[in-house]
Amino acid sequence: MLVVSNIDLKINKPVTKPSEFLKSSFRGFVLNVNNDYRYMKTGYYVSLHAEVLGDEVVPTTENALDAYRPPILLTRTAKNGAPIMPFIVTDSVRQIMAEFAFPVAVFPVNPFSFNGFRTAENRTALYRAVKSLSMNYRYAVCVQPLQGEMMVVKCFFGECACEDNSARAVARKVYETLKIPVCKLYVQRFNGGAYLCGLQPLKMEEITPSDVDLLSKMVSRFSGKGWSD
Amino acid sequence: MTRIACFVEKYNFSNSREAEALQNFKQTAERLGHEFHFMFRGGLSEIPKYDSVFIRATTDPLYTAYVVSKTAWELGLKVVDDPVSIRVCANKIHQYSLFKKYGVPHIPTIFLSKEEFHHRQIAEIFEVFGKPVVIKAPYTSFSRYVEKVSCETSFREVAKRFFRRSDYIVVQKFMPSRFDWRVGVLNGEVLYVCKYMMPKGKWKHGVKKRGKPSFIWGRTVTLKRNNAPHRLKETALKACNIIGKGLYGVDIKEINGDYVVVEVNDNPSIYKGQEDLRDKDIYEKIIRFLSE
Ligand SMILES: Nc1ncnc2c1ncn2[C@@H]1O[C@H](COP(=O)(O)OP(=O)(O)OP(=O)(O)O)[C@@H](O)[C@H]1O
Ligand SMILES: [Mg+2]
Repeated sequence: MLVVSNIDLKINKPVTKPSEFLKSSFRGFVLNVNNDYRYMKTGYYVSLHAEVLGDEVVPTTENALDAYRPPILLTRTAKNGAPIMPFIVTDSVRQIMAEFAFPVAVFPVNPFSFNGFRTAENRTALYRAVKSLSMNYRYAVCVQPLQGEMMVVKCFFGECACEDNSARAVARKVYETLKIPVCKLYVQRFNGGAYLCGLQPLKMEEITPSDVDLLSKMVSRFSGKGWSD
Repeated sequence: MTRIACFVEKYNFSNSREAEALQNFKQTAERLGHEFHFMFRGGLSEIPKYDSVFIRATTDPLYTAYVVSKTAWELGLKVVDDPVSIRVCANKIHQYSLFKKYGVPHIPTIFLSKEEFHHRQIAEIFEVFGKPVVIKAPYTSFSRYVEKVSCETSFREVAKRFFRRSDYIVVQKFMPSRFDWRVGVLNGEVLYVCKYMMPKGKWKHGVKKRGKPSFIWGRTVTLKRNNAPHRLKETALKACNIIGKGLYGVDIKEINGDYVVVEVNDNPSIYKGQEDLRDKDIYEKIIRFLSE
């Protein structure tokens, strides 16, 4: 198994840099550990290169694309039993207001942005959020009712350093479904439950030394266990 | 009876020939006893009510069309364009890597990364491919991000622009021709054959007018599929086979008697009086495929 990463992992086996891997014709299993798998970024091309070579790879390009698109993320994880919030995909404020009461959370659907999300308490704020996250109506947005507190959880192979058990269960489900090694999850907490809302890449500067420790531990565990599960 | 949703965006109706083709699809479906409804951006929650989805809006992993395709696929519907075809066709790096791997004849191509983007590399490219070379952003469509450069300065200018959205770009040998063959393929069979002529004095089928948002397109000359060159059709089918079993438009150049694939497009355009001119059954074939 080959570990390809742009993060300085503390593991006792060699780590290949993405640029090196992209020139290689390695055959085998590839674990692609990157902070960012966005479409057409290096992390995406690592998985693509592995697939074209015929390698098994985590994550697949399919999963990398789907994970950052909220409607697909939600459809797929819900199918696998994760609790999610109801959502609609649209660029019409009227449609959103007909569907949900305020406040609502608005996520971008185009996976280019690190944008996070916007909340809207009223019509004016909603117009602004939709206009900006849809890049002036070029793309659609994904809208969900905001019923509790939105938590942001850094997540490594389905493990997170957060105390909240229901949020941790969501993180595991998301990983089980999409196998994204490194990501940031948006989860709503209310009525004692946790509901998945979105997933985005982590910025390099968001990864702290203790995150690297947790990530390295998970990579070692993953490579020790092999990839049969 | 199959319930077919046709996913479109407003612009699909702005060209009257495309609007007429869309009406043809609808009438054909209804004549064959199926339901056919246009579905717009706001209607994605209706997907589960249908048996199959036919996407006519521009497909790209970044657009709503991909969300439609993947959602329909996850729900077990029949879908054209399917998500795999969209992924492969929308990205030239992906597509050309597969051409290389499976020996599909293609234009000499290299991939250039942001990191390797320096003087020595550029000089070497000009040495191998000659001048000019063609630079493409992986995400290009409608010829928008395909440019010809013949010196290092313009090479750098274009590449830098394309690197903004992609960490890799495509560089090719310049191989001009008077027209692109366009072979429509459905489920591993040839559906229609045309020639997309280059506008006078141009090297791309679609050209943006200076300072204007609108495009000019060259003429379309349509052949009966049975009369088109056999080796052309074989080449088109070979290229589609490595991608999938959906609906494709293959662009092929004929150079000194050889057929060289420029690219395979998912979501090929179908305009009344153009692609359907010599083979009127293309609507029926597509509807039958959607309702199988
Ligand atoms: N290497 C090349 N040499 C000469 N002409 C080329 C080359 N590559 C592409 N072209 C021409 O440029 C045009 C656009 O190319 P291509 O299909 O690769 O890009 P695109 O953005 O997907 O365009 P479209 O969607 O219009 O097909 C076509 O007419 C094609 O014949
Ligand atoms: Mg093309």
